Amino acid sequence: MSRVMTSFYIRWGVVLLITFVIAFLGFQRYQKDVASLTPDQILQNPSPNKVRVVGIIQGGSLTREDDSNRAFFLLQGVDKTLTVRYQGHDTDTLRDLKIVVVTGRLNAGTAELDGEAISLIPNYGFVVAAYLLGILPTFFFLFLMERKLRLLYTEVKEAKLYEPEAMDFDKE
Amino acid sequence: MHKLIQWMRRLEGWFGLAAAIFLTVGLYMALVTSPPDYYQGEVVRIMYIHVPFAQTSLLAYLVLFIGSLWYLWKKDPVVDNLSHAAAGVGAFFTVGELFTGSIWGKPAWNTWWTWDARLTSAFVLLLILMAYLMLRMFMDDREKEARYAAILAIIGFVDLPIVYFSVEWWRTLHQPLSVSQRGLAISQEILIPLIVMSIGFYLLFTYMIMVRTRMLYLGHLLEAKKGRLLSQAHL
Repeated sequence: MSRVMTSFYIRWGVVLLITFVIAFLGFQRYQKDVASLTPDQILQNPSPNKVRVVGIIQGGSLTREDDSNRAFFLLQGVDKTLTVRYQGHDTDTLRDLKIVVVTGRLNAGTAELDGEAISLIPNYGFVVAAYLLGILPTFFFLFLMERKLRLLYTEVKEAKLYEPEAMDFDKE
Repeated sequence: MHKLIQWMRRLEGWFGLAAAIFLTVGLYMALVTSPPDYYQGEVVRIMYIHVPFAQTSLLAYLVLFIGSLWYLWKKDPVVDNLSHAAAGVGAFFTVGELFTGSIWGKPAWNTWWTWDARLTSAFVLLLILMAYLMLRMFMDDREKEARYAAILAIIGFVDLPIVYFSVEWWRTLHQPLSVSQRGLAISQEILIPLIVMSIGFYLLFTYMIMVRTRMLYLGHLLEAKKGRLLSQAHL
């Protein structure tokens, strides 16, 4: 392999490495701030830490205490249902059968979740898809172009384009 | 060697390096440090890639338009290579814009695609670029090919203001301009990563058309050389 091509592949190796590092940091942030558990998972492995639980508000289970920012509902998972006692903002946005992410702590004694914040499902799969479909083809397109440029450059050099043509024929 | 090619050879590496730095910082901010939006949540992160794709596709067409005018005026084949390169790279960025926009549209509007004025005019831009590239593929006479392609690019330029102002001229599902005479409709925490990514994409685009222009130039040079050798061998 020529020196030109070796340095080219090394450079692209560095680009790939940086991309993987950013992807890894993004994944770490996702695990820390976005990823959530299902009611089934949190009930099977109770944790004293603050958790995010995603589920559907079971139909007919929602009750609100007016003027106190408190709500009570059942969060439905696949097989199990988690009782949530929520105190915080946006209780008026809650409704039956809505998918929500509740952040809070599991009360070990009552196996109920004391919710502090409520948010919508993050739809992070769309974010990942957009970045994969945006960045990877761009890099691949650029990689192919650069590679072709280097190969052409080598070919032009070998064809001795800058020498008078007559000399090529004289040699033959 | 042509002056433009010499100039590109000299600056190419610096643009590539600057693009790599801006995109590394921009992607880090977009995926790690920037906060989620109050209304859209995490999905807002798609904006950091979709908007730069869209801006760069418009920039690419602007370069194609100016290059085409310049070519018709000076008849410089390297300027034609530059326009051809801008069209190829521009088509790529327009596809990127449409794909990332479609992915954003599903969670935001609950549809992958709608015949909204902005989306339709962007799609028309892609069709014009595809027509330009196809024209260049199927013509034998290089000079005629360059001339017709330049005329097509100049006529197609009419779509550019339509793409840009469509969200202001018509009532569309697509959000209006975030930066306009009305002021700034975007918070600073979201604006900074967006600016960093946009600069990164502009630099990347400049680097890409430098690489592609040189690629086309060398390809034509080699082809011409081979053709001359062949004609002399036949003699």
